[in-house]
Amino acid sequence: MEILMWLSKPENAKPLGLVIFFVTFIGIVIYAYGSKQRSERLESRGNIPFLDDEEDTKDKQ
Amino acid sequence: MAVTTYSGAEQYNFEVVKKFAVMSLVWAVVGMFVGVYIASELAWPFLNFDSPYISFGRFRPVHTTSVIFGFGGSALFATSYYVVQRTCQTRLISDGMASFTFWGWMAVIALADVSYMLGYTQSREYAEMEWPIDILIEVVWVTYLILFVGTIMRRKQPHIYVANWFYLAFILATALLHTFNNLAVPINLFSMKSYSLFSGVQDAMTQWWYGHNAVGFFLTAAFLGMMYYFVPKQAGRPIYSYRLSIVHFWALAFMYMWVGAHHLHWTALPDWTSSLAAAFSILLLMPSWGGMINGIMTLSGAWDKLRTDPIMRFMIVALSFYGMSTFEGPMMSLKEVNALSHYTDWTVGHVHSGALGWVAMITFGSLYHMIPKLWATKMYSRKLIEWHFWLATIGIVLYIVAMWISGITQGLMWRAFDEFGNLQYSFVETVAAMHPFYAMRAIGGMFFLTGMLTMAFNIFMTIRQGKRENAALEGKLASKLAHA
Amino acid sequence: MNLNFKHEWVETNIGLMVVLTMLAISIGGLVEIAPLFFIDNTIEKVDGVRPYTPLEQRGRDIYQREGCYLCHSQMIRPFRDEKLRYGHYSLAAESQYDHPFQWGSKRTGPDLARVGGKYSNEWHVQHLTAPRSMVPESVMPNYPWLSKTPLDISDITDRMKALREVGVPYSLTDAEYKANVAKFGETVAKQLHIPNAQQSIVEQANFGNYDGDRSGISEMDALVAYLQVLGTMVDFNKYKDDTFVNDR
Repeated sequence: MEILMWLSKPENAKPLGLVIFFVTFIGIVIYAYGSKQRSERLESRGNIPFLDDEEDTKDKQ
Repeated sequence: MAVTTYSGAEQYNFEVVKKFAVMSLVWAVVGMFVGVYIASELAWPFLNFDSPYISFGRFRPVHTTSVIFGFGGSALFATSYYVVQRTCQTRLISDGMASFTFWGWMAVIALADVSYMLGYTQSREYAEMEWPIDILIEVVWVTYLILFVGTIMRRKQPHIYVANWFYLAFILATALLHTFNNLAVPINLFSMKSYSLFSGVQDAMTQWWYGHNAVGFFLTAAFLGMMYYFVPKQAGRPIYSYRLSIVHFWALAFMYMWVGAHHLHWTALPDWTSSLAAAFSILLLMPSWGGMINGIMTLSGAWDKLRTDPIMRFMIVALSFYGMSTFEGPMMSLKEVNALSHYTDWTVGHVHSGALGWVAMITFGSLYHMIPKLWATKMYSRKLIEWHFWLATIGIVLYIVAMWISGITQGLMWRAFDEFGNLQYSFVETVAAMHPFYAMRAIGGMFFLTGMLTMAFNIFMTIRQGKRENAALEGKLASKLAHA
Repeated sequence: MNLNFKHEWVETNIGLMVVLTMLAISIGGLVEIAPLFFIDNTIEKVDGVRPYTPLEQRGRDIYQREGCYLCHSQMIRPFRDEKLRYGHYSLAAESQYDHPFQWGSKRTGPDLARVGGKYSNEWHVQHLTAPRSMVPESVMPNYPWLSKTPLDISDITDRMKALREVGVPYSLTDAEYKANVAKFGETVAKQLHIPNAQQSIVEQANFGNYDGDRSGISEMDALVAYLQVLGTMVDFNKYKDDTFVNDR
């Protein structure tokens, strides 16, 4: 209950919000760039649009 | 994993994609024609012809609705259905629902345009549709959401490709914005007229929360989704950095919703709100440029494509305009700059550098890529794509230069004082000073419209050619079968 | 707390993605819009602001219908040039009964927040019918149909009832009427009483004779009545120059 009262004050809630969102943001950045292995895995996702390649229309002409 | 071959048409629902793609061009021609017309009304007011139906105030929403929701919206439906099916390697979950979104959306645009000309408007910019149309939009949109999410749930590919995140954010945000900005009480169930639930300052804040996020999610996030699929496809190489796309997606989704109040600087809106919005507007530069860099750098190592491939050129110029407008926007959200720019044509120019430069150009590039694939053929004329590119580019440059000059000139004239501390210019003197630039803007618009007509013709011929080839192919197959 | 977080969960789970995206996009709007409804000093306390009379409200409907807001703002900013050109900057209180707001976003024509009383009725009628006959450089469309079209007052009670639903103090019951008498005075309260609406329109139009033609009530009557009341409700002579500065 005391925590809720403390939260209801803008001068407490504002910096807290800032900290939460900043930490989340840093978390996402570390996640994305932190580990080499993960980076490679993530980058491989960029190939998804090409998995679906029909030989396009070239062979139809 | 070459899943599709000729059976593409059966594996995927391309029928609805084709319909939306064609209608997107139709609405582009209609909306841009009306745009040129109302621009001309401002330069040569006799063009209002004393007719209530085409007078500037009623005709302007016809322009904005036809281009944003008709052209842009149809292009987004078309490309999102295309991208979600191809990156999930599965068919849309329901042909009936897909078809409903098509006819429903077409009805929305047509009814909205007619109702504005008859004088029905909520007077909320980019949300002028009265309540019965708003309800239809809501129904179509929820169907769209279910169809899109349902299709993703049925995907064959474990990972959801980044383009789909952007489309998803666009669908969700639009649903949220549309619902809360259109809360209104109809005067009775048989009347189109309604009054908004909020008034004054709260109403203004809600409207510009909507207004700017229509730009943020409808005209930016969604078109970034388009970019994340079609730029890599056209370039033939994966996106520059998939990790960057993760970071800038979440930053963009979070930050955009804060910035709407920069449309209300120096108004009766409490200061803290618009200052907060300005701060986020500056921050927003980073995720915006993240997207731009990601798109442009996809081409690194293949820059020669810029010279040889007009479709690629559309896309890269689009990204450059995106970068420029997302720099100009935060600058205009600074209170001091806004004091000069607000209420002037500078805003109009800014919107069009985003709308023509970014939204329209990335759409042209994507449609030029997608339409030949849909009809299993090649573009009818490469030369005409080149023509379109230059007509569009010249048109945009004329347009935004005219609006920069007229906007800054008028802003400065309004605040000019003579040596006695009196206002130097009467209002109407500042109006008279705008005339040459209004004419120049209309001419810029005509260039852009001409380019659009070139595209429509080129696509029409492409589709006809695709149908003929297909018929010939089927004929061959049939005769082979008969011989066998 | 599970430290083994993977963005893959999000990237492979559409439900989670929907939830997180909704969360990300909801916060900005909540933080900026919700407080406007609760913070006391969002709307200043001033005397004189009243709801529009039925005739003025019908004029406002026509202002909205013709899309006037696309070229005319109703929001004066606190700058020296705007004070000289248009008058005191606009207060939030002045648009508290405006459903929807008409602050506008573009000044192809001048701001109209305080246009009331600046020009005569005759000037407005002539200017609306043929703007370039009064101001040769103007780019405003002609609105010749306003004088020719009789004002539709058949659904005025529906309109006022809808506005009452959204919070405008038009009165329907005796108690509401009495409250309005106390708040706005008897003359105004009578005009805000929904059962009197049609009669009130006729009386105000006949008395004001806004379109210069007594043979009937036209849309021009209503629109000019609306324009003439804009910005006139608050008497700024009663307040010191810096009274409202803290509210901004």
